[in-house]
Amino acid sequence: MTDLLSKAATAADIARAVSSGKLKASAVIEAALKRIEAAEPTVNAFTDVVADRARRRAIQIDAGQHRGPLSGVPFAVKNLFDIQGLPTRAGSKINIDGPIAKRDGALVRRLESAGAILVGALNMGEYAYDFTGENIHYGPSRNPHDLTRMSGGSSGGSGAAVAAGEVPLSLGSDTNGSIRVPASLCGLFGLKPTYGRLSRAGSFPFVDAFDHLGPLARSTEDLAMSFDAMQGWDPDDPVCSDRMTDPTLPTLVEGIAGLRIAVAGDYFAKGGEPECFAAVASVAKALNATKTVVLPQAAAARAAAYVITAMEGAQLHLERLKTRPQDFDPDTRERFMAGALLPGIWYVKAQRFRRLYRTQVMKLFEEVDIVLAPATPCAAPKLGQTMMTLQGVELPVRANLGIYTQPISFIGLPVVAVPTRTAGAMPIGVQVIAKPWNESAALRVAAYLEKQGVCVSTPA
Amino acid sequence: MADIASWMDEEAKAIGLPIAEEYRANVIVNLERSLAIVQPLLAVELDEELTPLPVYRP
Repeated sequence: MTDLLSKAATAADIARAVSSGKLKASAVIEAALKRIEAAEPTVNAFTDVVADRARRRAIQIDAGQHRGPLSGVPFAVKNLFDIQGLPTRAGSKINIDGPIAKRDGALVRRLESAGAILVGALNMGEYAYDFTGENIHYGPSRNPHDLTRMSGGSSGGSGAAVAAGEVPLSLGSDTNGSIRVPASLCGLFGLKPTYGRLSRAGSFPFVDAFDHLGPLARSTEDLAMSFDAMQGWDPDDPVCSDRMTDPTLPTLVEGIAGLRIAVAGDYFAKGGEPECFAAVASVAKALNATKTVVLPQAAAARAAAYVITAMEGAQLHLERLKTRPQDFDPDTRERFMAGALLPGIWYVKAQRFRRLYRTQVMKLFEEVDIVLAPATPCAAPKLGQTMMTLQGVELPVRANLGIYTQPISFIGLPVVAVPTRTAGAMPIGVQVIAKPWNESAALRVAAYLEKQGVCVSTPA
Repeated sequence: MADIASWMDEEAKAIGLPIAEEYRANVIVNLERSLAIVQPLLAVELDEELTPLPVYRP
């Protein structure tokens, strides 16, 4: 029996206990605040802790208000989500001088409407242009499984806070891999939903064409519960779909029966360290997935995602680059500057190619329901490491941790990153990829792997 | 495209982006990386009737 006030308690454990009256939300919040206080000097996942607000909300929940499927669950959000009364840092120093948020971001409101309790804002790579979790202004969020290593980014604090057991649930954003990379490096379950599924209203953007928001947790059930609470049309985000919500939690018990599962070959079977392919193999074996499929032109997809990201991101930040270049993190500044100088014809070609690639991949999904691929090409690099060797080739860490995630978010496919870990080694994740709007299939696979003991997430 | 420094200076001037001396070398490194990464996209041949995503709907 899990101690419900310990770091091992999941969101579902807590919600069940609070809903049934066995546990007070106030006690849950006090325990979470204590864990945060104890862990933060080393983990550095949080930039803001909203203790008073969380305590007030917990008292209201204990009085019977705001009850829902996530009653009493403490959660924290990447600091690009608006939190009423705070500046939305988005990992930057510049934004502290910007507007104070007048209301919470849409997904914060939806989780709190379901009974969850916000406890703070989480560290991230500046303006989300990052796969490392490092940040010159606020320090790096550190990997709780080895504090000398990267958490992954850009949702680094979102990974570190959950892996350290400070909170059972966090929200991150994923433009090119920023949920899936920290989930992989920190040994967590992470959901990047279909593009347009969850509202992005009240969050600081990066690349409109690819920006997604989603949860990180230590169990599939927690992902499904929070995802279900956050679904639904929002007129404040023009990309947010008006399709009906698809509750996923009830489907987790269905297992993998009827799902056609294949492993991504070619591009996704090279360019990484042996550990990432071993992780895919272990998951594939547990799922009895013997078929290999090829996502055609994945290298071009990665290139196109890179170009669109560099150019949209640079355009978004151009005025800040002109007027306050000294206030940027040096690790993002010159990348943004270079992005501002790329030829427009690259952008248009990338968008034209995106349509072709989408058509080709959709055809693939006529034959399979799930595709497995590595989440990252290696386990967590050392903090401060700028170059890494992948299969004998020296490459920059910052641009290459996302080589396997970029071709997937490029066309908005839903993905659950699932954790694997062998004894004595750092965790590494696998992408469970489904066709658009079929988050349920990816979550069912993740739940099955969890039940089989193949993918398990334990706090450090 | 071979002369990356000239590319940087001319394009930065055209869009009014000052690049301080101490940032120049790393902007060039990033342009070189971009040029390397984009190659698989540039190598793709697209049919002329292929229109881009996203589709604008009034």
